[in-house]
Amino acid sequence: MLRMQGISKSFGPVHANRSIDLEIPAGRIVGLLGENGSGKTTLMNVLFGMVAPDAGSIVFKGRPLTGHSPREAIAAGIGMIHQHFMLVPAMTVTENVMLGWEATGRWLRPAAVAARIRGASAAYGLGLEPDARVELLPLGAQQRVEIVKAILRGAELLVLDEPTSSLSPPEIASLLGVLRRLRDEGRSVIFISHKLGEVLEVCDEVIVLRDGQVAGRAEVAGVGRRELAHMMVGRDVGAPIDRVARAPGDERLVVADLAASDAAGVERLRGVSFSVRAGEVLAIVGVDGNGQAELAGTIAGVIAPSRGAVFVDGADVTAGGVAARRAVRLAHVPADRATTGLVAEMTVAENLALRAFDDPPFRRGPWLDADAMSALARERIAEFAIRASGPGTAASTLSGGNQQKIVLARELGGRPGVLVAEQPTRGLDPGATRFVIDQVLTLREAGGAVVYISTELEEALLVADRIGVMYGGRMVGLVRREDVDLSRLGLMMAGALQEHPDAAALYGVRAP
Amino acid sequence: MRAALAVLLAFALTALLIIAAGKNPLLAYAALVRGAIGSWDRVGVGLNKATPYILTGVGVALCFRAKVINIGGEGQIALGGLAATWMALTFPRIPPIVLPLLALAAGAVAGAGWAAVAAAVRLRRGVHEVLVTLLLNFVGVLIVSEALQGSLGEPGAGFPQSPLLPAATWLPHPLQGNDLHVGILAAVIAILAGHALLWRMPFGFRLRVMGASVPAAVYAGISPPRTFLGVMSLAGALAGLAGGIEVLGVHYRLIDGFSHGFGFNAVAIALLGALNPVAILPAGLFFGFLETGAQAMQRAVGVPTPLVSVIQGLTMVFILSAMGVSARRPRV
Amino acid sequence: MDSVAELLAASLRIATPLLFAALGGILSERAGVFAVGLEGMMLTGAFAGVIATHALGHAGLGLVASAVGGALLAAIVAIATVRFCADQMVTGLAVNILALGLTSFLLRGLFGRGEAPIIRVTPLAPLPIPALSDIPIVGPLLFRQPALTYVGLALIVAMFVLLHRTRAGLTLRAVGENPTAAFAGGADPLRVRAVAVVSGGALAGIGGAVLSLQQVGTFTDGMTNGRGYLALAAIIVGRWSPAGAFVGCLLFGATDALQLRIQGLRLPVSSYVIQMLPYVVSLAVLAGLGRGAKLPSAIGTPFVRR
Repeated sequence: MLRMQGISKSFGPVHANRSIDLEIPAGRIVGLLGENGSGKTTLMNVLFGMVAPDAGSIVFKGRPLTGHSPREAIAAGIGMIHQHFMLVPAMTVTENVMLGWEATGRWLRPAAVAARIRGASAAYGLGLEPDARVELLPLGAQQRVEIVKAILRGAELLVLDEPTSSLSPPEIASLLGVLRRLRDEGRSVIFISHKLGEVLEVCDEVIVLRDGQVAGRAEVAGVGRRELAHMMVGRDVGAPIDRVARAPGDERLVVADLAASDAAGVERLRGVSFSVRAGEVLAIVGVDGNGQAELAGTIAGVIAPSRGAVFVDGADVTAGGVAARRAVRLAHVPADRATTGLVAEMTVAENLALRAFDDPPFRRGPWLDADAMSALARERIAEFAIRASGPGTAASTLSGGNQQKIVLARELGGRPGVLVAEQPTRGLDPGATRFVIDQVLTLREAGGAVVYISTELEEALLVADRIGVMYGGRMVGLVRREDVDLSRLGLMMAGALQEHPDAAALYGVRAP
Repeated sequence: MRAALAVLLAFALTALLIIAAGKNPLLAYAALVRGAIGSWDRVGVGLNKATPYILTGVGVALCFRAKVINIGGEGQIALGGLAATWMALTFPRIPPIVLPLLALAAGAVAGAGWAAVAAAVRLRRGVHEVLVTLLLNFVGVLIVSEALQGSLGEPGAGFPQSPLLPAATWLPHPLQGNDLHVGILAAVIAILAGHALLWRMPFGFRLRVMGASVPAAVYAGISPPRTFLGVMSLAGALAGLAGGIEVLGVHYRLIDGFSHGFGFNAVAIALLGALNPVAILPAGLFFGFLETGAQAMQRAVGVPTPLVSVIQGLTMVFILSAMGVSARRPRV
Repeated sequence: MDSVAELLAASLRIATPLLFAALGGILSERAGVFAVGLEGMMLTGAFAGVIATHALGHAGLGLVASAVGGALLAAIVAIATVRFCADQMVTGLAVNILALGLTSFLLRGLFGRGEAPIIRVTPLAPLPIPALSDIPIVGPLLFRQPALTYVGLALIVAMFVLLHRTRAGLTLRAVGENPTAAFAGGADPLRVRAVAVVSGGALAGIGGAVLSLQQVGTFTDGMTNGRGYLALAAIIVGRWSPAGAFVGCLLFGATDALQLRIQGLRLPVSSYVIQMLPYVVSLAVLAGLGRGAKLPSAIGTPFVRR
């Protein structure tokens, strides 16, 4: 039914899709499996016309699809259910279904469309109420609105992007049932996911993407979990970097029952407790979106927790914001390097002083001491081998790797006691990646405590003394590096396995 | 660079309009230039006109740096003039040098206060500062009108205005026989201080970070609400000062409607100066001389003065479009 | 009782220009573009209306010209903000300045000889509807209004129908709330926004003509005098709905009518304080609404296609 050939797409320096070939027959549910950044969403956005590919061709039901927008894709019979729903929250189910649907005519007939919604809802077990306002519906129901939209417009190929990421287990079960019913009618489904268990449960065959390329494909009947996890994650871990085994020292960072919600008020961090000792790196792995951003934000003081406490070297910094963290020498490398960690328009020197501009030595009386900033910048540029023509260069002109070096130089240059690093190697080439890892290990040698959040399992294994797995806002596993089993970790990341669900018990940390 | 291009393009389009009105654009522009800087007299008048523009322009530019859109210049200037007038009329016994300075200070305080009111509404009630400052403009101007009907008015005058202020409060003219008053010094100081503040002081650092992104500001330990309030008050103070200078230096009395159009011109000047205090100097001069020259242009060639607003509006649209395009280009 | 009815009738009459502008602004804002330029669009329409009527002799043609004038100014906003992603609010201000200068300039340049001419146009007379206008109380209030006021009232209903009963309106509202969702659903957000802004400008232009052709009978410099901003405030007060905006416009019309009458009554309250009322009231209402005001979610953010 669908053939995509040679699809390539890059966003700046990031190669999201590298000449991907894909074939989907009719009447099958095909899983598209891969970690963050493997290129799954980009590939489907290309298919649906939301993003224009750099190269490649698409043939759907015998007809080519090129240079198209979603309108043409929908007309051809492709329906997409996005990970972040493409719905207008303030409108009703009926209005959302009618949106952009030319067959409804110039004058809206909500009653007629509502009747059709009820009909489809009954036929597929969707349980939708046409007059309900979308923003009041639970996420599972919102997703079913997207599904009914696709069905009513006659989609023969449905693409679901991470459909279960916001669903509860019963909702997941009912969704899978709907998909089976669609498949039995002769429609095809592409099921994008990072969750092994579900893919194996509902798909007929599975295609694994890694690093923008197809890493393997298999019939679900004949493949095992470990094999798939292996395909997702890559080669076995190579020779580890020189690491000195250390007996960890005193506890430097203690996190007790931390919980926080995101900007929309949804609780993303559901009570996490752990501690990190001097000379120890705790790597936190898991698929993006399982609460890591909120965890890092609450520890670093940029997000206010709804519950819980953060202690650094014995001091309670929970309520003190960024200022309190800086006072206890807690450093933070944020996930969003370009817009949060740096101000691109400012110079290297100013960025190096970004968080400390109001204190000596950068401030002398009412003035900023530009000379002090320059001098320190020169030091750091040399120390961290930052490739910039000088302290006065604008940060925007630097490469991603050098920009990250600025962030590291700032955060590590002051010899912090605790470091929270979020995805510090994202978008960096191997050389820059190695540099980051070396810096982290150096801090470790010096007795610092590091929380290292990453989606790259391989990398986490290089730096970690212990590895924690985040899933659904909780820490579902916490193991020492020596005890790591790659496939088990993959399963934990996929939510299929829970080990030590209450890490607090391990360390005897009590929530205040 | 972009500003110069925008201005040229605006002049070119306006030339078409002049032709449509049946006049020769080259003659018109020549008269414009002559009227603006053709004699020392004209230069003095032009500098006087540029002074309030520069003052308010610096304030608005600092706000824009933090992505705060402050259009309240007209109201802030009006109330600044009111406060200065009140001070000058109510305390005639204060010694000569001190009185005008106090009056100007009163103007600055009044302007800052009015801007702070707008900031408070924005911070506590979430109403966008554009709308709040706009509406408060009208209210501020009407407060001045009201005051001129009452205690500060001059009964019997054909027009709402205050009595002539005591000569001790008038801003002196440093050059013999020239209309230029010392207010220009305040403008120069504002430019230098604004530059220093933006680039060499912690507060300016805060503004620039906040203007880049609010998450970066939080990450850097900056309080967005406090910075918002601070920069609005500062801009209000500058505008209020400008109002006081207009009253004490140009009109020597409070005249109803003297603040008309200043707020919008300040926005235009801030944009033209690429939000850089130093570049606001030529931008403000440009506007000031444009207006004085326009009057001469009308007298000499018969091209009506509203042309100036056309040039200003077109220039702004071009600069804004260019800014929009460059913001769209993704950064690494 | 009589004077109250008269006051209400006058309020409605005075509110009509605001109403047209507010309805036009609603089109623009609900599609996601701030309508700060309403003031300039009204002014341009006022000017074009008077000039065309004077030159062509027919008020109907004047109305058409006013719509075209408003639409042309709005086209500048559309190109700058939708195509070039210029800041919507400041661009609106820029075209207001532009319109002020352009209209005054053309008035003198095309018709005067360096002086501002006074072009007199017969104002559109009230159009009493027979029989209905004789109903006590309601009659004079509702049915002895000028023609354009009736059109304005009808337009409220038409706008509601457009927004909530047609697919075009649904698409427009979706673009203002979540343009990416609209795009994923098959719409073209850029085109929708451009059309919304330009048609809104046409309506605002007609509003200006109501002022110049129906109420005053001539064009004077800057005659809209902030009405465009009041229309904007009315939109916000009315929560971006046509009926709500109408209430807001009526409120402002009432304060204006009140002010004229109070001056005759010699009350101890100064006329300037009365003049402040519309602005203070709208500020108070806006502040009272607080963050809860349901503004179109995607307003102000440009839509960029990757």
